[in-house]
Amino acid sequence: MKVKVIVSILVFLFFGFTLAGCSTVGKVREEKLQIRIAEQYGLAYAPVQIMKEKKLIEKYLPEIEITWRQLGNTAAIREAMLAGELDVGFMAIPPFLIGWDKGMEWKIACGLSSSPVGLVVNKDNIKSIQDFTPEDRIALPQPGSVQHILLSLASEKLWGDPSRLDNLLVTLGHPDGMNALLAQREVSAHFTTPPYLFKELENPGMHQILDGREAMGEEFTFIVGVTTAELYQDQPKVYDAFLRALEEAVNFMDKNPVETVDILAEAYQIEQEELLKYLEHPDMAYSLEVKGVMKFADFMQKNDYIKREPANLEEVLWDRNDK
Amino acid sequence: MTNKDSSRNKIKTRLFWITIILITWEIMAKSGAFPEAIFPSLLDIARALGDSVVSGEILLQTGFSLVLILEGFLISLLAAILMSSLAVSNKVFNGLVDTLTAIAHPLPGIALLPLIIIWFGTGTLSIIVIIVHSVIWPMILNIMTGFRAISPVYKEAGLNFGLNHFRIIKDIMIPASLPYVLSGMRIGWARAWRALISAEMIFGAVGLKGGLGWYIFKQRVFMDTPGMFAGLFVIVLIGIIVEDYVFAAFEERTVKKWGMI
Repeated sequence: MKVKVIVSILVFLFFGFTLAGCSTVGKVREEKLQIRIAEQYGLAYAPVQIMKEKKLIEKYLPEIEITWRQLGNTAAIREAMLAGELDVGFMAIPPFLIGWDKGMEWKIACGLSSSPVGLVVNKDNIKSIQDFTPEDRIALPQPGSVQHILLSLASEKLWGDPSRLDNLLVTLGHPDGMNALLAQREVSAHFTTPPYLFKELENPGMHQILDGREAMGEEFTFIVGVTTAELYQDQPKVYDAFLRALEEAVNFMDKNPVETVDILAEAYQIEQEELLKYLEHPDMAYSLEVKGVMKFADFMQKNDYIKREPANLEEVLWDRNDK
Repeated sequence: MTNKDSSRNKIKTRLFWITIILITWEIMAKSGAFPEAIFPSLLDIARALGDSVVSGEILLQTGFSLVLILEGFLISLLAAILMSSLAVSNKVFNGLVDTLTAIAHPLPGIALLPLIIIWFGTGTLSIIVIIVHSVIWPMILNIMTGFRAISPVYKEAGLNFGLNHFRIIKDIMIPASLPYVLSGMRIGWARAWRALISAEMIFGAVGLKGGLGWYIFKQRVFMDTPGMFAGLFVIVLIGIIVEDYVFAAFEERTVKKWGMI
């Protein structure tokens, strides 16, 4: 019994020290200029790709060390930022607000893009969300995603009940969602973004019954850039360089469409003509301006997706001018 | 008597270590070294578990998962016994089963997921297909090994009694290879759980029902870390109950009673 007690104390201490060791890692990196960014594929993230390929952050801070990390989805990016492994992530407003609500120390640094978001159906008799039957299934990326919140907004507007269609939801990533929609089995609708949205609509029998702006009732930023408090407060030079670089990337895309298409076609492995068509879509726009945060926050708080609501935009948006 | 003592001892040791782990956990959580969203305290986890039991959600999802896994498990068990029986009775079929097992056994169910979505859609059928795939091959391997380990004397004795092929399999080969079948079932069960939870996490729910994997995934997207641990707790609990009580009791009543192990 004595041996047992001693062994357990040792194990206990071992666990304790191992875990305590994890939290000291963060302190070492303060002296070095570095930024760790989550890289994502998709047209909505195009300026990030340009910023990377044209080495724009390095232009403002030549000595900086940049780490680009690829992560599967928004939840993974959020978890990596929570664990202190990432400084910057790009995501839609609702997942950001969920993290903010749970006490994550992060705020929106900038907008990135607005994009078409559409609900595509594969049945001719479905003309609006009113026509869904209990047998229909709607695929979207995950609960709490911008697509889910937009669908809830549309349901609330129509029936006063945001969760009316929740029983029909199937959670599928964009590529699987597209396959399921085109297979015409139980999935009859898919709420998605380009290029999947455009590809689906090219198929016969597919049509769109709802778009993001219609559901939201106003324009909104689809993807925002989010940074941790650590980056904003402890590394103001890096934070500033990042924002300038992103701004330059957006301007670059505007002024050099040919080179932009070259870079993006290569990075995303899409045909140039196809890409050009996507980029010229009237709803596809890039800007650092942030729109729609308060409307999302208000709706999500009223319907229990989040528990608290920011009193004003400053609570969730880093102020650029107090530097 | 000794049996009971050893099982009581086992429970004691487990309780002892669980207490140690829980105390360490609580101290770490309370020390504030990590944000609450990473390392929630036991009280938060207990509260999350309590809430979802009261609202009925975790029970509903657990029930859904258990029904699926039992369905998939029974289908696999019957199919594995059928295929193994055919394989021992027929040389051509033996080659086929052997080849199929060699091809399919190393394939993780999750690797087949994209294909399964295209072929079977995203409903419960697909999850059953993944469970059956995870269970059936190790089960066949174990049953076949069991069949081969039977001394030919038993079979010949059966033939002398004038038993037909079906009865030789049912009354001699299956009982005689039961220890192997049982270990096949244990491996199968563990693999089925993994396959089920992973598939549920990737598929997402059809409607409200998506099983325990879906429950955990939903807590993840809404950043409810205590809720995630509540889901994990239920998975562990079911695992322990099935292993220590269901399989152990089955073993007690069959192979141990017959003096096979």
